[in-house]
Amino acid sequence: MRITLDKFFTVLTGLAVMCMIAALFVILGPMIYRGLGAIFFRGTVEFRKMQLAEFEHGNIEKIKQEDIQTKQARQAVYNIIDKFRNGIDAEKLTDQAKQIDRTFGKELQLQDTERERYQELRGLSRDIRDKLIEAFSSTDIEQIKKHIDFVLRYESDERFRKTSAAQYFKLAHEFAQASEKIDFEKKDLYAGELNELEDIIVKLLGPDPNGNKPVLAQKRYGAARWDQAQKLMHELFWKEQWIEQENSKTLVRIETSRAEQFAGTELEPLFAYIKDNSKKMLNPQITFYWRYFLDDSTPGHYFGGIGPEILGTLFLTLLSMVFVIPFGVISAAYLTECSSEGPVIRVIRMCINTLAGVPSIVFGLFGMAFFVLFFIPFFGGPSQGCILAGSLTLAVLTLPVMIRSSEEAIRTVPQTYKEASLALGASKFVTFVKVTLPAALPGILTGIILSLSRVAGETAPILFTAGIAIGPVPDSIFQKTRTLSYGSWDMAVSDKLAAEVPHNQYGMVVTLVLLILCLNALAIMLRSRVFKKLKGH
Amino acid sequence: MPKRNNNDMVISVVKSIKDKYDTSELEMIDMEKIEQTEPYNSTLPEKSLSIIKADDFSFYYGSKAGVKNISMEIYPFMVTAIIGPSGCGKSTFLRSINRINDLIPNIHVEGKLFVNNQDIYSRQINLVNLRQQVGMVFQKPNPFPKSIFDNVAYGPRLQGIKKRSVLQQTVEESLQSAALWDEVKDDLKKSALALSGGQQQRLCIARALSTRPKVLLMDEPCSALDPIATSKIEDLIETLKNDYTIVIVTHNMQQAARVSEMAAFFCLGELIEYDLTTKIFSNPSNKQTEDYVTGRFG
Repeated sequence: MRITLDKFFTVLTGLAVMCMIAALFVILGPMIYRGLGAIFFRGTVEFRKMQLAEFEHGNIEKIKQEDIQTKQARQAVYNIIDKFRNGIDAEKLTDQAKQIDRTFGKELQLQDTERERYQELRGLSRDIRDKLIEAFSSTDIEQIKKHIDFVLRYESDERFRKTSAAQYFKLAHEFAQASEKIDFEKKDLYAGELNELEDIIVKLLGPDPNGNKPVLAQKRYGAARWDQAQKLMHELFWKEQWIEQENSKTLVRIETSRAEQFAGTELEPLFAYIKDNSKKMLNPQITFYWRYFLDDSTPGHYFGGIGPEILGTLFLTLLSMVFVIPFGVISAAYLTECSSEGPVIRVIRMCINTLAGVPSIVFGLFGMAFFVLFFIPFFGGPSQGCILAGSLTLAVLTLPVMIRSSEEAIRTVPQTYKEASLALGASKFVTFVKVTLPAALPGILTGIILSLSRVAGETAPILFTAGIAIGPVPDSIFQKTRTLSYGSWDMAVSDKLAAEVPHNQYGMVVTLVLLILCLNALAIMLRSRVFKKLKGH
Repeated sequence: MPKRNNNDMVISVVKSIKDKYDTSELEMIDMEKIEQTEPYNSTLPEKSLSIIKADDFSFYYGSKAGVKNISMEIYPFMVTAIIGPSGCGKSTFLRSINRINDLIPNIHVEGKLFVNNQDIYSRQINLVNLRQQVGMVFQKPNPFPKSIFDNVAYGPRLQGIKKRSVLQQTVEESLQSAALWDEVKDDLKKSALALSGGQQQRLCIARALSTRPKVLLMDEPCSALDPIATSKIEDLIETLKNDYTIVIVTHNMQQAARVSEMAAFFCLGELIEYDLTTKIFSNPSNKQTEDYVTGRFG
């Protein structure tokens, strides 16, 4: 019976350990996989262009060549779209017609024509323009034909030859050609769909090289990563819709093919072209982006790395350690060496225990109310969140941990060490500094490891005291800083970035884990060295 | 009461070594404090040959007495053993001689305890000076987790000696006095914790000697050691008594008989008998002592 029980116990504990390891793999595995995606991926030509333009990394000549090649491949896409647009985009065509009229008028003035002739030509031009505009906005093929015919009647007119008015006829021809293939019932629909399509293409290939409009930082380049590009292409080929079904109230997601939607129009070949030539357009190559840990990012983490975040996290963590280690050790020394057990000490101890359990957001608010708004301005600092305020808040947060572990460490130093020192004529203070503290160092280092891990990963205390999502790399401790934990939180909540560049968020999280691991490894190595020295091996 | 006052033998022993001993060397009184308070002379006892003198001395842990009404004199350059059953207060008494018991909260003393004619429980006493004059070796070897050199140099460094050559010399002399020099002279940088138990205890003795104390208190120094290490320590005590006054607490009566010249028997916090060791072990005047040394009690 006892043997069975023993075996059962072994199996149970073994299972518990296995479960824990499995959970660890289930949680960490995908996270690390995705995080690795931030530095190891298939980068497109857009990535290399971005790297060159933003961070001046890469071979200029090679990238230029690549750019030219891909541009050639992309030109077809823009041509197809332009052709199709000519058939449906009444607004744009109207604008074009008006523009032609205006330039024609200016031309006539410059040529210094006679007054009557000028009046006549201007009137004619306006007529052509109005007919064209009518044709553009019409949905009746007969009407359109009538208007176009009216316009084309002047095509052979000598007076318009070799002037800018000749463009009227080019426009009319293109429109006539396009309108033959368009189902006019769907014209408005096409216009809307085309905008959607163009948005996706901008995300995929970057801004239209022919347009000169200024663009947002995150739209300056196309898909920098092949996985991103594939996602966008899927979006391009398949329109996602949520359909309400009558019987059930839940919406059902369906995907319809855009190629079918645009079947029979000028746009139809676009889909096949993109499908066949996507690699030519984007030229994906396997990339090891180790500069991810050094590079700054374009505002909002759309492109680039997390260098400033790593720096900020290190700053905050190490500065808070500078505050918490002396305070923690001195407090622990008081509690163990200088005070005698009594009600006061019991209350202090209770307070410390309670503090250890206070939620970190409470410390965040405390930090804002005390350090940011009162303490730092009181000494002439800025009345805004800054690294100093953040690290002080983090120090307060982890002080209980530090005090408790240091206290344990100091308590475990054999009384005989202290006695021996005192018996040699040392004062209490000298005994503490020269004998107790060195002997307690491994335990204190354990406390530092615990504090370090907690501080580096905390988000809530720096929400209001030091964190910022977009900003320059700080050059003093009186400025806000970006940190890994704050960054990944911000990406998750403030916009949809996390959905668009998930690799960045996972990259930050994994980097944070790695950073904590590295700091811990450093502290553990230090501890084992101290331990060895104490043990005399 | 012990019969020490009438014991001619003791007096003769003490007189024979009197010329080695100069009380004026001892300066444990904090001069600054004296200037502020009234002259100290009034409490000084008549000069005697003893180096340690307990005068109706009692020591209390809270309300419980550790030792009570002890009156005895300990003579210089002799080994004085304190024996008795467990819990009889012999360690308490020993530890009050250099006031290491002060670490324990809620203690108080009654009566007087003189070391070199100075009341060590008076306010004027400078604990640092006292402890440098009264060294101590503990039951368990307790070297600091530092190198051998740093262990021995700890005391001199506390006194403000920084010069490497002076420290080196002090360390060497102390280690030689503790008969450890030959064994460790080649690796003074080694951690003290790497030494064997017996070596560690001798290191502790060297450390205690490094401050050049007058008195060496030993609290069961051999109880954690094997017989070979024990015999080495005993030999060491034998040589040390030429230069130091040694008070040793021991459970081992053979050891007390082997190493000590004077012996005091404590029981239940009281001093039962104090006499020459030979007398205590061969012809004790008290029944309790006789029972104890012959093994019938305790």
